[in-house]
Amino acid sequence: MSQPANDIGSAGLEVENTDMSGCEIAANDIVKLTHDKLSTEEVSMSVVCPSCGAVSLFIGITRNSFEGKKVVELEYEAYIPMAQSEMKKICWDVRLKWPSVKHIAIHHRLGVVPVSEASVIIAISSPLRSESLEAVKYCIDTLKATVPIWKKEIYETEDCSWKENKECRWAGSREK
Amino acid sequence: SLLQVLVLYFAKSAELAEVRSENITVPHQVTSLQLWQELVRKHPRLAAIRDQVVLAVRQEYASLGDELLILHPGDEVAVIPLSGASSFADIYG
Repeated sequence: MSQPANDIGSAGLEVENTDMSGCEIAANDIVKLTHDKLSTEEVSMSVVCPSCGAVSLFIGITRNSFEGKKVVELEYEAYIPMAQSEMKKICWDVRLKWPSVKHIAIHHRLGVVPVSEASVIIAISSPLRSESLEAVKYCIDTLKATVPIWKKEIYETEDCSWKENKECRWAGSREK
Repeated sequence: SLLQVLVLYFAKSAELAEVRSENITVPHQVTSLQLWQELVRKHPRLAAIRDQVVLAVRQEYASLGDELLILHPGDEVAVIPLSGASSFADIYG
């Protein structure tokens, strides 16, 4: 397998790759940090390719409770350049472990993410299903362990008034 | 010889230090532990996360210890709080 080129930006990384049928295919690593709402459709479509019979997906959703307290929303903070470089390292590792993987897309949302919305979406394509399924699990497990992104839970507190919204956010929050 | 590096504080460390970023003056060579101790000297409340923090120098992790760091003017040093013993555990469902 050829070596990935140096980074050309946060949007993607083109790699020349030859699949088992001998066709030339450019494999993409797509790493995106955004404050916009994430789109499962967009992420999964970005890894579709003609030779791939499988696209595997992981979606991380903000939950509505933690330790019995009701979570109103989560706020994600990142050390952006390092989060991007660590995510690209994960893509590199995935390709070493599962050489048949074609495209990898990791989208992470930053800022406020309301409950039940996606904070992270990972999509990976491969010719056969077992590689992309395993690679997606590896991706999210490793992301949790190595990528400098933090989440802060904003809890619903009874003494929080709408007028004091800004003060309430900091009073009712806790680092995780 | 001394030089200036840019320290970035994230998450809990930014709340404790009450600052998001600042320039500090450090020696060209310093251990990661010494660098941390200098940050605590400036912001004593950082001591609260001593057991749950690593540094990142030029965007590479450096755990607190005797590892000798070679610093250059303008290098970024980030304070990376950890939610668990060695990972950002349990961030996602």
